[in-house]
Amino acid sequence: MSEPILELRDLRVSITEHPDIQIVKGVDLTIRPGEVHALMGPNGSGKSTLANAVAGSPAYKLDSGQILFKGEDVTAMTADARARMGMFLSFQYPTAIPGVTMVNFLREALKARRGQEMPAREFLGELRETLGTLKMDESFARRYVNDGFSGGEKKRAEILQLGMLKPDLAILDETDSGLDVDALRTVAEGVNALRTPHIGILIITHYQRILNYITPEVVHVLVEGRIARSGGAELALEIEENGYDPILRELGAVEEVVS
Amino acid sequence: MAETTTQTAAVPAPYAEDAVTAAAERRGEPAWLVERRREAARAFAATPMPTPALRPWKYTDVTALDIGGFAPVGQSPTTVQGTPPAGGFAGSLADALADAAHAEQVRQHLGTLVPATEGKFTAANQALWTGGAYVYVPRGQAFEQPVVVTLDVPAGDAGAVFPRLLLVAEAQGEVNVVLRNTSGDAPLLAPGVFEIFAGPDAKVRVLVDGRWGDATQEFTTIRSRLDRSADVLVASLALGGRVVKQTTEALLEGDGANSTIRGVALGDGEQHFDFVTLQDHSGEHTTSDVAIKSALAGASKSIYYGITRVGETAAGAEANQENRNLLLSGRAKADSDPVLEILTSQVIRCGHAATVGPVDQEALFYLQSRGLSSRQALQLMVAGFFRTVLAGIPLEGLEEDVSAVVVEKLATAEL
Repeated sequence: MSEPILELRDLRVSITEHPDIQIVKGVDLTIRPGEVHALMGPNGSGKSTLANAVAGSPAYKLDSGQILFKGEDVTAMTADARARMGMFLSFQYPTAIPGVTMVNFLREALKARRGQEMPAREFLGELRETLGTLKMDESFARRYVNDGFSGGEKKRAEILQLGMLKPDLAILDETDSGLDVDALRTVAEGVNALRTPHIGILIITHYQRILNYITPEVVHVLVEGRIARSGGAELALEIEENGYDPILRELGAVEEVVS
Repeated sequence: MAETTTQTAAVPAPYAEDAVTAAAERRGEPAWLVERRREAARAFAATPMPTPALRPWKYTDVTALDIGGFAPVGQSPTTVQGTPPAGGFAGSLADALADAAHAEQVRQHLGTLVPATEGKFTAANQALWTGGAYVYVPRGQAFEQPVVVTLDVPAGDAGAVFPRLLLVAEAQGEVNVVLRNTSGDAPLLAPGVFEIFAGPDAKVRVLVDGRWGDATQEFTTIRSRLDRSADVLVASLALGGRVVKQTTEALLEGDGANSTIRGVALGDGEQHFDFVTLQDHSGEHTTSDVAIKSALAGASKSIYYGITRVGETAAGAEANQENRNLLLSGRAKADSDPVLEILTSQVIRCGHAATVGPVDQEALFYLQSRGLSSRQALQLMVAGFFRTVLAGIPLEGLEEDVSAVVVEKLATAEL
């Protein structure tokens, strides 16, 4: 079996400003090249915390555990070092950066990712093509990063970056939230266009609907900072039909026995 | 004789009345100008240095600064490039005075908007400026290209220079002026005076591009008087210098006049910036907008004190003031104080906003998550922070130019 793209070993994460509050309480997860994993779970279960911690956000603190990326221990690495190695986080709430145009930002990001400047003609060609795939107008590239973007535009802009940066691991943090059906389909097509036997994808979502367009190999359910269940694509359908309650009840029963 | 000795002790030679007069006569200046220089020298001797007790000088203490210790740097190394329309002028004040077609206009305007008696630095400037620039736009005419005034003090030249601009735009006249200031690392004092007269419907854009060396101290007063529906923009780039103190004022006298003031300061080390602005509305339906942004690394400092005054006669006025300060290091400091003085109840809108704080940590992480180091991320964010203020200044390549300076300066700045 090929070497995992991402391996989380007993990851425990708290909030930097509140070190006493642990959000992720021991997660093990392995994603291999070519696999799409979905991480589902009710609000507040720690999905976004996990995503941000894996990407290296200083807002979160690792209490213990290890993050292996392409076989290398990146636990102590800064977010930018992880990104240059090929990690990508699509933000749930992308931040506005006034005064910085999308095109400038993308050029700088690509330069950092590749370790060298890309010829302008090649860069613009690729940008045009990716914009086209995502049904985005070219004027989009001249706007300031996420500044005044609608919810849907922000999510598309994330996928635009994903398409340009071509990472080895893409973590999509609720990229489906706030999108209407057409936008969701466009975004999903953008993600599918990137699926190769080499990339690993972790889709974090509250709902099953994006998984109608992007079929996952594995579905995990995160509850109170722990993976409560893992299964195939059918697990997502089960949640779609019955909600999280059956799993929560089951978990409650287990905890009762333990206590 | 005893009296002369006393005066010499108080006012060093180049700033003393006799020396000022002798220098003016040596340059062959007309009698009226020699007389104004004498007045300025007397005002210089009689005016005390401003103290921090005066609000605009609260955070810039110059009481220990000995202006007299800075001897004028020979002939001020100023060049003026510009092609005026028919009847117009772009050149040195000395050339304008030697030209019968322009000397009278200069006499009528020079020193009338910023009188020498106003303060120590303005008096020093009026007494000793050489190589100042004069720009004249005749009625209904426009300069096709920006007028570029370059003051390039050679590296190693210590002393004082006195930047001076007189700009007169007649009705419907249009001009863009760029003042580029550079100097070396030797101690330099630069008290500047810029006077801008904008006639009815005139459109004037002035950019002060300050890239002084590390030991230059600038104290400048920029004042514009706006006639009916005149539109004046004054923008300043404070990218160099040890101390940069600029007082930028717009007197909105004519109905419908519009003033825009823009400023950008990028600090590192011990750099000290101090911006004072005044938007003085007296005409009806006048509008004004101030936006000044500082990004501060090292132990640099930025001070902003701005007054929006809306007089009793300024019914229908609209004014806005914005000052934003990014602290890029734990040692950088900023103080921001926007003030409103509204004397009429018939104001349309008067706003002010001031912020002092570190960069947005979420934005920083966002950029880092795309592979940019924290320093690269800050370079991009600061360039963007400035870009939002510079947008709208009609000078080709300005934003790219400023971005390049940001990248270069922050490559080594203490963050």
